[in-house]
Amino acid sequence: MANLQRLSNAILDGDQKTAIAATREALADGVEPLELITNCMIPAMDEVGNRFECEEYFVPELLLSGRAMKGALELLRPLLTASGIQPAGRVIIGTVKGDLHDIGKNLVASMLEGGGFEVLDLGADVSPERFIEAVKSGNANIVCLSALLTVTMPAMRTTIEALKLAGVRDRVKIMVGGAPVTAQYAAEIGADGYSENASGAVALARTLVKAG
Amino acid sequence: MTLPHWALLDELRYLEQGDSVDRQFYLDLAARGLRMPIGADLVLREQPDPEAILLDAGRLGNVVEATARRYHTPLAFPLMDLRLEKADLLEFAGVPESEIDQFHFIEPPSERFAADLIAASARPFSRRIQANQGAVRYIAERTELVPVGMLIGPFSLMTKLIADPIVPVAMAGSGVTAAEDKGVCMVERCLQMALATVLRSAEAQIAAGAKAIIMCEPAANTVYLSPRQLRGGSDIFERFVLVPGRRVRDLLEQHGVDLIFHDCGELLTEMVQQFAEDLRPAVLSLGSSRKLWEDAAVVPKDIVLYGNLPTKTFYSDSAMPLEEVRRLAADLSARMAACGHPHILGSECDVLHVPEAAATIRRKVVAMLEAGETAL
Repeated sequence: MANLQRLSNAILDGDQKTAIAATREALADGVEPLELITNCMIPAMDEVGNRFECEEYFVPELLLSGRAMKGALELLRPLLTASGIQPAGRVIIGTVKGDLHDIGKNLVASMLEGGGFEVLDLGADVSPERFIEAVKSGNANIVCLSALLTVTMPAMRTTIEALKLAGVRDRVKIMVGGAPVTAQYAAEIGADGYSENASGAVALARTLVKAG
Repeated sequence: MTLPHWALLDELRYLEQGDSVDRQFYLDLAARGLRMPIGADLVLREQPDPEAILLDAGRLGNVVEATARRYHTPLAFPLMDLRLEKADLLEFAGVPESEIDQFHFIEPPSERFAADLIAASARPFSRRIQANQGAVRYIAERTELVPVGMLIGPFSLMTKLIADPIVPVAMAGSGVTAAEDKGVCMVERCLQMALATVLRSAEAQIAAGAKAIIMCEPAANTVYLSPRQLRGGSDIFERFVLVPGRRVRDLLEQHGVDLIFHDCGELLTEMVQQFAEDLRPAVLSLGSSRKLWEDAAVVPKDIVLYGNLPTKTFYSDSAMPLEEVRRLAADLSARMAACGHPHILGSECDVLHVPEAAATIRRKVVAMLEAGETAL
């Protein structure tokens, strides 16, 4: 009988090696990949998010847990693809042009993956053209724009304008975030949503995907 | 009665080249009610050709001087350009200039490379870095202002050399060794190289005439260093932040140069206390997430606290209206006066120019400097 608690604990502890080993064992015991994700991994990452919210966990713990989750997911992804199972949503994420900071973006990417989303991470200092290209070439539901600096924040507006000009703005929902960004600024630049932290971003992404 | 800030400049004319600025100097400035932003970027970006100025020692020195005069402070704070030491290190590694900002090591640099870097401390600096050192020299030789240098802290520099430093730092914090994990090895090797690079930069700025140096360690915060680990007894803060920080402080002390320590990151009170007690800066500059009047309880009274209005939000009139700036400045001044800790009111970090909000930022900086002065 597969010990799903071991996988759950490994994710909570940020222990990638054990998470991978526990996933292998579970698969060998015949547990379905979707069951592992739905009943074990996503709840574990939700718990990580809860612990972050109540300041029991901090950014390093979030990233370690995300890394453990990712290690396990890499084993499952080919199996999911083969059985035609769809992710919770598809997200393109990047830090906007001129901004090299990526901690916040990495956190959100990690939490979204943990929440069952497929994430295409374009990295930092991403030009509007690269966002457009990624939207055109894939079937993403959401684009996430991150900026840490007041001086680079205007590049979020530029990127959204560029997506409009390219005629692809309405294909996706746009989420923005980062230290200087506010809900009001998000509304001003025409974003669909704003989250002040990574676990909030997962909830927001779920809402936006549901809203279509 | 408090002296007007401009009067301080006259008082400082006694500071001839070669004099050592001491702790009492900053305590006196605080006692006299000095207020100032870290504002060189605002003045630089008013110029028609800021990028050219960054390569010209004399003109950059002019900007630093103009900033000090505009804000009526004897302290000639330079630009807070925390990319310079990374550029210096990576130039040695042969990384093209155009790729330096984006570059991260993907494998641990070899021991040989680290040793070569340390051994090559006498190599020339790039034009941009020389211009910064020249600006310090300009202040030292041509003005009566106090020439202040600027450094990134070794830990923060290390975080700029690695794409994802948080995970390996956390692993090191949980006891994983460099021999066991490539990421931990990379962090430790990069930290070693970062320290050597920061010391070289400090030596050059001291040679240029710096009387004080601001060391910025914004990455030494609770994003990179897990409070859970620290509270569990991990030595990661001591090993990765304080030990290299003490090396820089010791170098400055040897040369009679004062340390101004800046960290605008999210911190635990224990971290603030250790910065104060271990590094013994003349001035401790903290970000707006800290309540300085509470931190005063863990910072010795001979260390001036600097800051910490939320200047990063000054660009936005909705997030930070002018009246709120006035209120915060007056409130902070009153609280610091009430707790009796030496304090220089200022920005939480360098006040960056935002093209579409330049006028509002300047107005708010002035409001910060003037608000509630009569209450002092």
